[in-house]
Amino acid sequence: MIQEKSFLKRLASGIDMWLIMAVFILLLISFCAVYSAGFAYNLSSRYIFVQSIASSIGLVFLLFLASFNYQYYKHFRKTVYVLSLILLMAVLVFGSFKRGTKGWFDFGFISFQPVEIAKIMFILVLAAFLDAKAKFSKNLSFLIQVFAILMDHLVLIMMQPDFSSTLSYFPITLVLLFVVGVNPFYLFCMVIFGSFSVGIPLLDTFINLQQKFIQDGTFLLKLATFLKNDKNIICIILSVLIFIMSVWRLLCKLKIEIPILYPIILCLSITFGALASIPVEKSLKDYQRKRLIVFLNPNIDPRGAGYNIIQSKIAIGSGGVFGKGLKKGTQTQLGFLPEQHTDFIFSVVGEEGGWVMSQVTLILYFIFIWRALIIAKVSRDRYGSLVAIGIATMFTFYVVINIGMVMGMMPVTGMPLPLLSYGGSSLLSCLCAIGILCSISLRKHIYY
Amino acid sequence: MVWQKKDKFTYETFLAKHKVILVFFIFLFVCLSLRLFYLQIINGNKYKNISYQQRTHNTKECAKRGAIYSADNQLLAESEYSYVVVYYPHHGNPKPSVQILSELSTVLKKEVKPSCSVFSKYGRKVIVLEKNLTLDDIFKIQEKKSKLKGVSVIREPKRIYHFSKETSHVVGYISQIQVNEMESLSELGYKLGDYVGRGGIEQYYDKYLQGEDGGWQSEVNSRGDKIGITNYIPPEAGNTVYSTIDLKLQQVAYNALKNSETGKGAVVVLDVKTGAVKALVSCPGFNSNKILNRKIGKYIKDNKLPLFNRALQALYPPGSIFKFVAFAAAIDFLNTDPYESMECKGKFELGDRVYVCYHKIAHGTTNLISAMAGSCNVYFYKLSLKLGIKNLEGYTKKFLFGRKTDIDLPNEKQGFVPNPEWKKLKFKIPWLQGDTLIFTIGQGAVNVTPLQMAYITAAIANKGVVHKPYVVDKIYDLKGNEIYRYKELPNKNEIKLSSKTWELLHKSLLEVVEKGTGKRCKIQGIKISGKTGTAQNPPKEDHAWFISYAPSDNPEIAIAVIVEHGGGGGLNAVPIARKIYETYFGISSNVQGKQ
Repeated sequence: MIQEKSFLKRLASGIDMWLIMAVFILLLISFCAVYSAGFAYNLSSRYIFVQSIASSIGLVFLLFLASFNYQYYKHFRKTVYVLSLILLMAVLVFGSFKRGTKGWFDFGFISFQPVEIAKIMFILVLAAFLDAKAKFSKNLSFLIQVFAILMDHLVLIMMQPDFSSTLSYFPITLVLLFVVGVNPFYLFCMVIFGSFSVGIPLLDTFINLQQKFIQDGTFLLKLATFLKNDKNIICIILSVLIFIMSVWRLLCKLKIEIPILYPIILCLSITFGALASIPVEKSLKDYQRKRLIVFLNPNIDPRGAGYNIIQSKIAIGSGGVFGKGLKKGTQTQLGFLPEQHTDFIFSVVGEEGGWVMSQVTLILYFIFIWRALIIAKVSRDRYGSLVAIGIATMFTFYVVINIGMVMGMMPVTGMPLPLLSYGGSSLLSCLCAIGILCSISLRKHIYY
Repeated sequence: MVWQKKDKFTYETFLAKHKVILVFFIFLFVCLSLRLFYLQIINGNKYKNISYQQRTHNTKECAKRGAIYSADNQLLAESEYSYVVVYYPHHGNPKPSVQILSELSTVLKKEVKPSCSVFSKYGRKVIVLEKNLTLDDIFKIQEKKSKLKGVSVIREPKRIYHFSKETSHVVGYISQIQVNEMESLSELGYKLGDYVGRGGIEQYYDKYLQGEDGGWQSEVNSRGDKIGITNYIPPEAGNTVYSTIDLKLQQVAYNALKNSETGKGAVVVLDVKTGAVKALVSCPGFNSNKILNRKIGKYIKDNKLPLFNRALQALYPPGSIFKFVAFAAAIDFLNTDPYESMECKGKFELGDRVYVCYHKIAHGTTNLISAMAGSCNVYFYKLSLKLGIKNLEGYTKKFLFGRKTDIDLPNEKQGFVPNPEWKKLKFKIPWLQGDTLIFTIGQGAVNVTPLQMAYITAAIANKGVVHKPYVVDKIYDLKGNEIYRYKELPNKNEIKLSSKTWELLHKSLLEVVEKGTGKRCKIQGIKISGKTGTAQNPPKEDHAWFISYAPSDNPEIAIAVIVEHGGGGGLNAVPIARKIYETYFGISSNVQGKQ
């Protein structure tokens, strides 16, 4: 084993300074934003206390995981996998309810959400599996095994139920499969399947909401009533299928050889996507569906589902170039912003720090992700690359969905902004992930 | 062995995919940055305004309107503050909740209902819950402040008119701006829900009377609770207007008109020397205090038209009072001998039509002066044929008929003088001699307003020197500084006639009262000159006219009286003028005109 002293030396010389600097500045911004967000409710000191405890524990974990050789995860992938399942099952048994979700371990003053850690464990396990079975990446059984691993986690999380946490699993899986060499067409079909199964119920909800908003018999209203009819939807899907097949025929005639398997798989994924929309529609509650789609036009429900987006857009927009100053954001301090210390923390940055601060934050996130991808590139083995890409994808997904949400471009899913949002488990898991990244980066030259 | 070297091919395909992922991530971040730029830089000001609007809450405090005084320092109109409970609709609660209403009902000990009178202030709507609070009520509401969210007590000025019936037309009234008027008024800085003057001094001097509204600007949080007052601007009361109206004359004139034959008509009393309006009465008047309580409908339905300002807006045929035009023309232009006699048989035949004297009385031997005093139509018919329509029209215009007096009151009517061209254009019939005949005695298409008549009478009394009539003398601001005083413009209008004409005209007008149709106005010790008129208004009753000025030697006031459908001028209009003279000269007389 390595001695402590030499580890610290190597840490100082071999650590990715860009990454660490970006993380530390983001944490600093987080402290300011959370302090300001809590100020209006006299909760600043509590927030800062929890946040500093979580970040100090997180930094200890970071150092520990950085010193720990990531390759052990590969060797003990089954143990890690079983551990993650046990964690998720334990929370179903011993966990406590919070906001309708049984996903928390309550330790009195601090509560912990195991899903956050389970996600990272999932990345480690999936990367290990893909690394080991990369040769069989063209096989269907390989895909099925991957999805078996994925589904175990998803089922356990949906039992809490925590819809938004499951979402981040999909991009991670898809990106890692893409990197390992699965035919992109299959991945495309999966995306099609997913978008049809979720898109149809959401579109239905949106049309329902929009119908109240449209006044008279305009074209839009006619279109909406046309789409409302279930028979018409089936007709549309059938015509899309026929269109795909005829395009394939045309391409064949043009001497562009495409195996028949491709259009068939595409058609099947569309059909199954449409069929899967029925259980998805039932599993999603009405308010959830509204929340997911209302970003397209928040004004159709300005006091209900659209309220958060409208207020958040006002907060960010009113920040202008230089912002209103710390603790001077009127949207934040007068309570117009909902969930301002957690999901909508970026609005606080946008309002009080203005365009300058929010753009700096975005750039810092980008530097962070860019460095993660660099680590993936220089990693000593493929396993390290896959893990780094998985972590980078997870962060990108969180950042894009969250910041997109507060700016009214993405559905309201209730995902925290990594490193910025108030919340111990989110911060802890982020710092753990960064620890693993450091571990990969530190061991790019030496194998031990 | 690192995998980069172990399996070059795998690593290279990995690198290609790595690049795709990197480009994709860059694309996502660029999208976010663009959106950020769009929200904060391009639309920054828009969102700043929205955030400002949703956190500021304006409570308006209306300014007191300025007071209006009469010339004898009587208060005609003033404003007092009254306290009003209002509800400010805020986020999520566009209407007051049941709890608030019931709480308020117990505090005020009467049932409170949100009234329909929603008015807007700075673009925010306000619902009035209860008006006219006492101080006690206000304290009670303040005590329960925590339970009454969104409820405020605001001061609202209330307009009070004294002597409302008598002065209603000259003072006017105020009412809220309606939505359909906003287009024209918003340019002048008025806002929806503001009170503006309607008619009379209130309208014409609205700019001076309106004060500057003040108010509180307070910051509210998302639940609508007030966090703090950011700004308070005290309201600035309007200026005080001093009118030239002599309240005593106004009251006497109004009461005389009210008790006259029909109770409808108008009186205008002018100061001959300056043009100041001493009284301007239109009867029936209305209660301007009640108009504010939305009882305007009752007045609109009244067929006596109380809202109609007859003194300025009603057009009447002048009838015999118009004869002085032909009289002046005859002497000034034809140089007629005023003592040349002529026989009046009570009728005059022109072609196949017969034109008669009033009530077909034959005046016998008449000359110009006695024809004037006795109001003999036949003499003037003959005279008109001598003069011709061209000259008559010229002299009518010279006497300022058919022209606005430009008094400082709104909606003045112009009056009308017909001429042959007009008739041809309108009716496609040429002007006939018969038209000239009836024109001379003030019938036909010619019409005038009572104000015009008073104005012209004053000019006659002045021997042609014209003073523009005015009702507002001076305006003081709250500190007592004079900010406006009426100044007569260098005179443009002057009735130019030979001095002989003036002399004879004055003589004949004096004769009217001394010996002629205006005998009922004869007052011991004061010489009054005038002319009566009975304007035919078929198919309805005749209008009774009387124009006069006094004292004849050194005229001080000029009066025009019309009793609508009042019958004979000498009988019905003259006593009204008499009462005004008696009041003006301080002579009490119980004798109601001698036969």
